[in-house]
Amino acid sequence: MKARESRTRAGLPIGTLAFGLGVAWALFATVVWLAAQGVATRNAPPAPRDTASGKPFLAKFSDIAAQAGLSMRFTFGGETAKKYIVEANGTGVAFVTGVNGFVDVTRKAGLARAGWGSGVCAGDVDNDGHLDFYVTYWGANVLYRNRGDGTFEDITARSGIALPSKQWSSGCTFLDYDRDGRLDLLVTSYQAFDLATAPLPGKASNCEWKGMPVFCGPRGLPFGSVTLYHNRGNLSFEDVTASTGVATVKGFYAFTPVAADLNGDGWTDIYIACDSTPSIFFRNNRNGTFTDIAAEAGVAFSEHGFEQGGMGVGVGGFDNDGWLDLIKTNFAGDYPNLYRNTGDGIFEDVVMRAGLAVNPQYVGWGVAFADLDNDGLSDILQVNGHVYPELDSETAKTRESFRNPRLVYRNLGNGRFEDVSAQAGPGIAQQKSSRGAAFGDFDNDGDIDVVIMNMEDTPSLLRNELSTSNHWIQLRLEGTRSNRSAIGATVRVEAAGKTQTKPVLSQSSYLSQNDLRLHFGLGSATRVDRITVRWPSGMVQEFKDVPADGLVMLVEGSETAKRLTLPR
Amino acid sequence: MLRIAAIAALLSASLYAQDPAALCEAAQQAVHAQRPEEAERLWRQAISVSPRYFPALFNLGLFYESRQQFSDAIPFLVRAAEISPRDFNSHYLLGACYQALGHGDDALRAWRTALGLNPKNVRLLQVMAVEYTKGRYFQDAAETARRAVDLTPDDPNAYYLAIKSHQDAGRYPEALEIAARAVSRFPESARAHFEYGFHLQKVGRVEEALRELERSMALDASYEEPPFFYGDLLQQHGRYEEAVVFLRRAIANRTDYVPARVALSKALMGLKKWEEAILELNEALRFDPRHPQPHLLLSQVYFRLGDEQRARQEKDLSLKLRRENPAALEAVQGRNFPAR
Repeated sequence: MKARESRTRAGLPIGTLAFGLGVAWALFATVVWLAAQGVATRNAPPAPRDTASGKPFLAKFSDIAAQAGLSMRFTFGGETAKKYIVEANGTGVAFVTGVNGFVDVTRKAGLARAGWGSGVCAGDVDNDGHLDFYVTYWGANVLYRNRGDGTFEDITARSGIALPSKQWSSGCTFLDYDRDGRLDLLVTSYQAFDLATAPLPGKASNCEWKGMPVFCGPRGLPFGSVTLYHNRGNLSFEDVTASTGVATVKGFYAFTPVAADLNGDGWTDIYIACDSTPSIFFRNNRNGTFTDIAAEAGVAFSEHGFEQGGMGVGVGGFDNDGWLDLIKTNFAGDYPNLYRNTGDGIFEDVVMRAGLAVNPQYVGWGVAFADLDNDGLSDILQVNGHVYPELDSETAKTRESFRNPRLVYRNLGNGRFEDVSAQAGPGIAQQKSSRGAAFGDFDNDGDIDVVIMNMEDTPSLLRNELSTSNHWIQLRLEGTRSNRSAIGATVRVEAAGKTQTKPVLSQSSYLSQNDLRLHFGLGSATRVDRITVRWPSGMVQEFKDVPADGLVMLVEGSETAKRLTLPR
Repeated sequence: MLRIAAIAALLSASLYAQDPAALCEAAQQAVHAQRPEEAERLWRQAISVSPRYFPALFNLGLFYESRQQFSDAIPFLVRAAEISPRDFNSHYLLGACYQALGHGDDALRAWRTALGLNPKNVRLLQVMAVEYTKGRYFQDAAETARRAVDLTPDDPNAYYLAIKSHQDAGRYPEALEIAARAVSRFPESARAHFEYGFHLQKVGRVEEALRELERSMALDASYEEPPFFYGDLLQQHGRYEEAVVFLRRAIANRTDYVPARVALSKALMGLKKWEEAILELNEALRFDPRHPQPHLLLSQVYFRLGDEQRARQEKDLSLKLRRENPAALEAVQGRNFPAR
């Protein structure tokens, strides 16, 4: 029997080292350092990559923002250093209708406003057939009613939607939680931020990154909140945060909310990505109240039980099992979460086995499940960018940088993804410090494009130059008993032996609004066998044998799927 | 005659009282005679006679250090190091005192000076690597630990320290390279094979990693870490049935191995063996009652069993434990060592 060797891997062997002076010294293995860090991170290394499939990826993205007329530069505080966290998080973006080419109509539309903007969500709050907008700010948020003539009016004051001026609102989502056919509104606040009390870089315990003084927080700063407004009709809202149970959850820094029927019971639930605190999953109790079941359902933490720096959320069925799954982006030094819905709204984080833990070096923001190559499987596109521009200074000694490339993961159809960013074109390789990303077919050519907000830069408009014979279908839903924009509907598309599932979402990605038209790739299928819509009202409708390669309008209660012409 | 002798004695005593070397010699004799208070008085007397007398300053510093009076030792060692800046021991001992008082950066500064005087002092290199790690100076820890390996290629612990330091610094390829050297040097070491397997997996060479882990288990069946790591890897990839076998083996080798019990409970949850998962989680809590993770998993098990009230209780307890120790489940960021 050989001598037992030192082998405690948690740290060093505990032993005694003798010096010539007779001084004894113990090596203590376990190190617990209540570290100075403002954000949840865990120094996670890149996970091993599988051998590449070798299949070419046919979606190529090019940035055509400049030629499309998107030339406004976004400046958020200091360019080379940030003093306060409010300078770091950027904004979301919205993709509303597909138009090929852009003209700045902000002033003409009545949307010009000075403020420290954060998020945007769209929905038809008065069911008049025109999409309205809610925009969040550090300060007063604004509800814009669409007059239907290309202009908007600010109806915030008369609608009863106002938050204290020091609230830094981040996300918002329209939803119909009580099935009354009117869109209610949920607003997340990242924190109550006050310049007068906010500590300066390096001046408090949560104000450094890898030893470098940086802006403080979010840890150590006042927590945020969630507010729920019930739509009473007549463009007026009532604050029901307390009566619905939403107010019972405390102690979080909330970013992006998504509202969808996550447990398949026909009622809209809410998931909220939270930064450096447990994320929130409000289960709709079907009686006008909500219960946070994030921890119990497995979507509050990482698979190892860590709090994470949650930013953006995508919703969709990646494994085509009929259930809606979640992907959440997180801070650097951590993996995203791929929460697979195992049924009935219970989730498991399968990020490791799915092959998505390979790029933890980036701070992830906007994200979506999107079938980028129309093969009938939802791929993932994620935009990145660090929060500390100081990383690019000559004195910084880390290997990180403020500007990062985007990531594209191809869905291999076996529960796994592969990183195909290098094959996905110059728009993906582009290095920007990106935040919001909205997904939709802006040029109406049958594939998913992306618009991206970049810090201290102009936006990116990534046009998908997909070269494939794969087929596709786009669906526009219109509620009659349900809210007219059908937000909260869940759609299943069955074609070529696959069943794909997507929800109609108000906000998702990072504080952003995707195109409300749902896009499904169909592979070789030229027809859809069956479309099943579960409307927010609870009605379930089927549409059979629908031809591919076009936009189809589905109206609640109407039996026909109406083909629309796509503007080009 | 007697008077002459008395005068001589007085003169001698007076000269002795003015001679710091004699006072130090007397102090050493007092130490050997177990009269520490007298020794302390004599050294202080020597310093009062000759404030820059190095042996008195150093020995009094050493005396206080050995009695764990670190704050008392520091001023004397600082002066000793100033007077004799090329004396390795003063700088080393000063660092030891700072370290004992929790002043890690000051300790490292003193040790960096000591190391400059004796760059091949392996023990100091190892102590510094540990202290760098404690201060989150992971890159410095890695560099220091690697130097220790180069100086003592026959010491397996030097390799393990260097592997861990490089891992903390995120330098996985170098950790792998050191682990490969360890396997080559100590082919019969279960630990070396385990380290090599662990880092092969980290760089994506999973099949080779599994072979090394198997080799490690074959060399020492009582070693708990290879079956834990092997089983946890299988669990993370959804191979729950196989994972259970290895995780149970790890626990058989070490019953208080809480991470293995947590991993086993996750595999059992994957297999929908709820009652067995509850048993394992409760065992984990028996060994570590303040660990938030078993409570979180218990919450999920009870939720799946439809017992929402119990699920909520376990969740609340898990959240409370997290708040009480926020660093328990979180890695810390590295940083660069501040020169001053």
